[in-house]
Amino acid sequence: MSTYVLVAGNAGVSELVAAAAKLDGPVVAVVVGADEVVRAVAAPGVDKIVWLGDPGDRAVEAFAADVAKVVAADPGVVFAGRKPAERALLGAVAAAISAPVVTMPVEIAAGQVTRAIAGGIASETRSYAGPVAIVSDGGAPLTGGGSTSVEQAAASPAEVTVTDLRPNEVAAADLGTADRVVSVGRGLKAKEDLAIIEALATAFKAELGCSRPVAEGLDWVARDRYVGISGQQISPQVYLAVGISGQLQHMSGCRGAQLIVSINTDKDAPIVAESDYILTGDLYTLVPALTAALG
Amino acid sequence: MRIVVAYKYAPDPQEATVASDGTLDFSRAKAIVSDYDAVAIEYGRQLADAQGAALVGVSVGGEAAAKPVATKAALARGLDEVVVVSDPELDGAGSTRTAQAIAAVVKELGDVELVLAGDSSMDVGARMVPSVLAGLLGWPMLSDVEKVTLADGSVSVERLVSEGVQSITAAAPAVVSLTSEAVKTKAPGMKDLLAAGKKPVAVKSLADSGLVAVSEGTVTARAKLDGPARKGVVIDTSDPAAAAAELVNALRAAGVLG
Repeated sequence: MSTYVLVAGNAGVSELVAAAAKLDGPVVAVVVGADEVVRAVAAPGVDKIVWLGDPGDRAVEAFAADVAKVVAADPGVVFAGRKPAERALLGAVAAAISAPVVTMPVEIAAGQVTRAIAGGIASETRSYAGPVAIVSDGGAPLTGGGSTSVEQAAASPAEVTVTDLRPNEVAAADLGTADRVVSVGRGLKAKEDLAIIEALATAFKAELGCSRPVAEGLDWVARDRYVGISGQQISPQVYLAVGISGQLQHMSGCRGAQLIVSINTDKDAPIVAESDYILTGDLYTLVPALTAALG
Repeated sequence: MRIVVAYKYAPDPQEATVASDGTLDFSRAKAIVSDYDAVAIEYGRQLADAQGAALVGVSVGGEAAAKPVATKAALARGLDEVVVVSDPELDGAGSTRTAQAIAAVVKELGDVELVLAGDSSMDVGARMVPSVLAGLLGWPMLSDVEKVTLADGSVSVERLVSEGVQSITAAAPAVVSLTSEAVKTKAPGMKDLLAAGKKPVAVKSLADSGLVAVSEGTVTARAKLDGPARKGVVIDTSDPAAAAAELVNALRAAGVLG
């Protein structure tokens, strides 16, 4: 029985290959992508590549049924990353082989997976008689160098055509690789006051993040900067939470931080119990003081 | 023509508590139509009106999902009718089992041009039901969509991808999951709630749906997950400048200042 890693147009699957290699059987990468993606995925740990071709102007999603067919011929555990196209391919596979889907895995062994539930406050271990479809962080791109065999497989992609791409006007935020993140929540009273948070982020050489209501409801901060269960999940060296109470959904996005610092008016806010350094007080005096101390 | 909105009636996770053995307690959490699914219903309403299509809500869950308070809450947001697959075995069902039940309803309804879904459920947030559903139906899956246009047997969307806004055209029917901000929602008014009481509701059991649901494994252990141990140092803030200096010193000592 093979273990599969789905590759949806980019080679950022190193974590998945590492997890797949711990299970029995060969690791097979099922690739929808250009030549260079195939060359990158031909890396140590990947025993075989089944290449369904370069999507060209089709969306990777067009190949979902083709990917499912490859896995269904010899069903096994399947891994895919968290990105949209990766999820679409994994969903088609889960449908085709009737496999349960597991998200947020913590520990994966043959026939058994432990996953985090409820935003990471609890875990649950289940045993499985058949294959499971696992969604997890893809990790860094593979860079080739393996003795991997490549088999080209015929595909009959669906009519899903990319007709246009309007690039972002501002570069997408990359909170995931930032060492320091200053994140702001509902404790901020007005959009204009973001200036003091931005000044702190600059002095701290940090990226700006926020809690969900600040991005989605108030629209004060770009949506790709929102930290939480359905937003960014980050593990910086320092996470400085300003005016954030620390509800479950938010904490599941930042719990991996090495150090958490909280500035909050409420000494009983949930974030206090999850902080390394706690500053209880008004952010409007503490933030400028901290910016000055860093400057 | 029908447009289907897949929605979840779920307990608000803000109210969930976890016992020391890792068991989750949702008993004090109030159930509502999951936040982002309300976005899908509102978007579906506008699309259905423009197309002259019927808007059908499909939901899957335990007994609570079929109660009048649940179906009315969804209907009041603008659905024409709802079909609920309700079974104790579907309480807390995973993505594959849920998608299988939705797919059975969609196939039985027929004449469905589009299935809309929200960005994620508020209680689990796996974001996988639409993808599995698309796989089961053999339809294209398009996620993170901000705008949908239906015309001449095709579905055109604008979706947010990491590089920017991508336009895609696919052959209909398709499964589309929307961003959380595809449209603004508003709370239903009294008139909407009264009208909701008169709209058709069909409730099916797992047996009615003719479904042999996927096995979701056997729970062998639960635990409370403690995050990394935290220092819990309270810095005295009576003098803000001194507090700031103390924090900066601590961060410098930890070697995390850039």
